[in-house]
Amino acid sequence: MDSFKMELSRSVKRYDFHPIQRMLYSQDLIRISPFLKRFIKYPVCIVQPESDEEVLATLEISRRFKIPVVPRGAATSAYGGATTLKNCMVIDFSRMNSFEIKNGCAVAESGVVWLDLEKELNKAGYALRVYPTSAPASTVGGWIAQGGYGVGSLRYGDIGKNVEWIEVADFDGVKRVKGNELKYYVGLFGTTGLILRACLKLRENREPSNYAVKCSFKESLNLIEGAYHASYMNRSLSKMVGCGDAESLLLSFEDQKSDLDFDVELGNKIWKRRFYLLKAAKNANIIFTEAVLPYETVSEFYQKVGNLAIKAIFTQDCVVMLGILPERGYYSTALKVVKFIKMAEKHGGRAYATGMLFPHKKILDEDIRDYKKAVDPENLLNPGKAMQSNAISKLIRLAEMIP
Amino acid sequence: MNIQEIAARCSRCGYCNVCPTYRVEGWESVSPRGKIQIALSFLNGNIKIDARTVKDIFKCSVCGLCEEVCPIDLPLIDFWEELRYVMSKNGYAPLSVHKKLKEITYRYFNPYSGDQDRRDEWVNFEIKPSKTLYFAGCTASFKLQNLAKATANALNKLGIEFTIAGRNEYCCGSPFLRTGQKDIFEKLFERNLRYWERAGIERIITSCPGCYRTISRDYPRIAEEKGQEFNIEVVHTVSILERMGRFEEVEKKVKGTYHDPCHLGRHMGMYDEPRNVIRKLGIEFVEMERTKEYSLCCGAGGGLRSQFKEISFEIGKQRVLEAMETGAEYLITCCPFCEYHLSKSAEKLGNKIKVVDLVEIAEKLISP
Repeated sequence: MDSFKMELSRSVKRYDFHPIQRMLYSQDLIRISPFLKRFIKYPVCIVQPESDEEVLATLEISRRFKIPVVPRGAATSAYGGATTLKNCMVIDFSRMNSFEIKNGCAVAESGVVWLDLEKELNKAGYALRVYPTSAPASTVGGWIAQGGYGVGSLRYGDIGKNVEWIEVADFDGVKRVKGNELKYYVGLFGTTGLILRACLKLRENREPSNYAVKCSFKESLNLIEGAYHASYMNRSLSKMVGCGDAESLLLSFEDQKSDLDFDVELGNKIWKRRFYLLKAAKNANIIFTEAVLPYETVSEFYQKVGNLAIKAIFTQDCVVMLGILPERGYYSTALKVVKFIKMAEKHGGRAYATGMLFPHKKILDEDIRDYKKAVDPENLLNPGKAMQSNAISKLIRLAEMIP
Repeated sequence: MNIQEIAARCSRCGYCNVCPTYRVEGWESVSPRGKIQIALSFLNGNIKIDARTVKDIFKCSVCGLCEEVCPIDLPLIDFWEELRYVMSKNGYAPLSVHKKLKEITYRYFNPYSGDQDRRDEWVNFEIKPSKTLYFAGCTASFKLQNLAKATANALNKLGIEFTIAGRNEYCCGSPFLRTGQKDIFEKLFERNLRYWERAGIERIITSCPGCYRTISRDYPRIAEEKGQEFNIEVVHTVSILERMGRFEEVEKKVKGTYHDPCHLGRHMGMYDEPRNVIRKLGIEFVEMERTKEYSLCCGAGGGLRSQFKEISFEIGKQRVLEAMETGAEYLITCCPFCEYHLSKSAEKLGNKIKVVDLVEIAEKLISP
């Protein structure tokens, strides 16, 4: 350990071995029960690189000392992507947080917070095409590593479609990845390489015009065409987040619309609160569950789960369904989470992401496992995630067998 | 909710990443989210903490920005203050400088080692008895006497009769309440209250938001806990200026921006009054990027300046730079402590913007 520490201190400026710090960096947004905590291992240390060179130096130390690395953005994923399952080094990218606008794109380092980026881009007349609903905290690298949909996905698709290229670090150095090769990194939780920066596609900054429509879920599907962003909250969720007491569809358009006779005031209110779904947790602890559904079956799925507080985010090719469950007993609520996803699968849907919880789900392309073996033969990049099972995911598989 | 319950409710969403000290330090143990997790583990008896962790917990100006952005509205200002008290009660705090300030205040009744007999040195008028007291506070009494003078002049010009307590004015105790040292706070509370009762004070005017928050919010709470009565109205100078002031406009057009002191803004919700006064003075007013509820702290409060100077000045410089970006010539505030710290921060950046207290400008322009 002494030579490891010495090597690290020579190679990077910011690192920490303090036990409390290690405890804090062992977890992310996901709530883990005291029983399951036995499967979590505190990292050996935390590294906060400030340059590509420091990331590469950390990877070299990882390889030499056979200590895995777990990349971390803002730790806002609910899939345990940044949770530490082995003795490892956490690489916290929060100090790599600069960006520049180049040829109409934003080249942002991994640790840039989405909302900070959006605000700066707006000053220059640009805006992000898509950003996550956790934008006040989550980072560029973190969201790309998880993959997924967010604000703007109805028009522009998932984050993967809005990345021109990314630069990743692995044991061979830094490489630029684009086009079809992005699939080996987007949604892979850093298991194939560490995202250093991304070139993000932008749009012209225009204040969206927002409307709320009180309608049924089924009706909402016929109203979203032409919108840049659309989401739906059922009655119980609207109440929980303080947006009225009726089901409502939010429609946001990039251009001003004068021909729509919908509720502008409520529309603006819901838009302003687009990052604040957690307000649902104001009065009681909650657990989220998410699934991705095809448009063809989503209404049927909604009918099955509509007794929960539900939010739907409409995207180019699918609907993200979010269920909000009040935490009444950790394990019984966790079982409901699993049932929600199973129900989605029965309707042709899938889990939203893999991370630590669902590596057994067939979300990723078959050839990704081979790619992982080729770039990380010693399995040092975020082991036990994305496509590799772990003790917690095995328990989830057991839970999935409960009818 | 007690602090254990508050900590257990934290969703770890990380929206509190806006914390000014976290943005400087960058480690999770300094972020509000991290500190809450430490507190929870500590209060549940799951971890032992050491001196370094205690220091990290105190790396906070108790500015309240975390409370403002918290999606589930956790009462985090109260949480930090209570947590610091728990740290003190368990022997982990006060930190060295905070302890020293307490010792100084036990001796001098102010944290600046100012001679209590000279607390009213700034007074250039005859002191008459009144039921209204101008409570200048320690910073204006010993460090920024021009502010105390300007406030008194303003009150005189507005025809408000008032008195001052002179050597019977004691530190309000805010720096100690914010750093978990309730023992000395309660003694200062008792001394002040005893004098006010003896003097028949019914209304207190303060020019310091720290004193304003403490006397108007914390004193009644402590009085209730002790079974005492507290029926004194407390007002900040700026609300008097806004309500009663008629002003001439500044002769030369100047551009000014306003820094919201945390104790006046987020802690007490006073945002519009100072802006209205600035506009009445004919100053070309321009907002900084982060204003009102989302204003960046000056970096001095909560014992941060006294114990962690480097962090405090880093935040102070960030705020001054933000003010400079507006193109303003004047950075106006309503708090002697903010003024003092931002002036020193501006000094470090070459004095490219002048930091002033609103009362000092407004007093000169009150119409007769």
